[in-house]
Amino acid sequence: MPRTSIACTLATVLALGLLPGRALAIDPLAGDSWTRVHALIKPSPAEQGWEKIPWLTSLWEARKQAAAAGKPILLWEMDGHPLGCT
Amino acid sequence: VAGRAFAFADSEIIHLARHEFIPVTADDWYQRRRDDAEGEFFRKVANQGPRKGEGGSTRQGIYCLTADGELLAYKNAGQNAHVMREVLQQALSRWRALSAERRQPGAVQVGDPAAVDRRYVRELPPGGLALRVFTRALDRDGKGDYCDAACKVGSGDEAGRDHLWLTRDEWKSLVPAQKKPGTTINVPKPIAERIARFHLIDNTRGEPPMWSQEDIRQLTMTLRLIDATDDRLKLRFAGEVLLATAADPSSAKRGFDARLAGILEYDPAKGEFVRFDGVAVGDHWGEGTYTRGARPGRTALGVAFELADLKSPADLVPPQAARDPWAYFGPGYRLQVGSR
Repeated sequence: MPRTSIACTLATVLALGLLPGRALAIDPLAGDSWTRVHALIKPSPAEQGWEKIPWLTSLWEARKQAAAAGKPILLWEMDGHPLGCT
Repeated sequence: VAGRAFAFADSEIIHLARHEFIPVTADDWYQRRRDDAEGEFFRKVANQGPRKGEGGSTRQGIYCLTADGELLAYKNAGQNAHVMREVLQQALSRWRALSAERRQPGAVQVGDPAAVDRRYVRELPPGGLALRVFTRALDRDGKGDYCDAACKVGSGDEAGRDHLWLTRDEWKSLVPAQKKPGTTINVPKPIAERIARFHLIDNTRGEPPMWSQEDIRQLTMTLRLIDATDDRLKLRFAGEVLLATAADPSSAKRGFDARLAGILEYDPAKGEFVRFDGVAVGDHWGEGTYTRGARPGRTALGVAFELADLKSPADLVPPQAARDPWAYFGPGYRLQVGSR
């Protein structure tokens, strides 16, 4: 195969991103395009239903409010804070 | 936390939690250790259930209780909305079976706790800045752009969450002294290392291992002033990081090879950052003891940062890594005077 044809083929392959371990065809962080990635990573509305519950973060404060309101307490306790870690 | 995706996203459970209970959350790592009135109260309640904390083990789960400390129901079933609905209804039945005198508002008196074990209290430092941090498993589409990864719900499909804290002196060090566009500063090493070690982590499937100092193989973070007016300084954030558990990343069991980008905006009149948006995205590999089930090989992972407005109690939840505040803030960190 002539050298020019090889170069052409290689360029086409590179342009189409067909080589293993290729670099990304586009740079997702170039310019302001990182903002799209930022929005992609943040929780979707469907992932935020639990935020409709007015969670307190102090068990002692919950005791006070429960006593004053005449209600029981719902305590969600995890290794890793449910509202903030993991 | 699967409960966010399952039980507490269920409309009936949301309704019950909002109207029939006083809902509260806590990190069991602190609660089961604290040696004070709140810790004693919690352990008294937990000891009525199956998790008695033998050998300091976890007591995590979902508890329904009275203000004076009677356990009404317990289940560690946040991943199962059907079971959780039954548990809440069972708790309400037991609650309603108590005498009317005991249930009426004001029947139980709760004053302030006699003492607080400050060893297990983490508060945003005075004048400090808090960021929300989200992490998500990603994939690449046909064009090479990032897209949401298809993971099993509850096993990495949702965004992980955390918070990043900076002291007042730390965030002020990010404001360039020179207001000339083009001015570039390196993010101070303690801040860059805090971001890398404690926030560029894969917490999409549970509590992840943090990176050690030695795991930092490459780390650059810069801020370049791109616009300066009387009411706004706009800074472009950029960086590269290579974290790996072995000097040769190709043989490391765990690693993250990422680039960072973002924009920060500072309001000189207010003397505060009004925007602090950033991302770190790249290839992550490996898993930890509590984050089994990682996708095989090197896969895309993204971390996003944004300012927390502190209007929600959730915004004040401390960083996961602040359990060890000396590692997080540095050896100069001091517990508040009067701590036990």
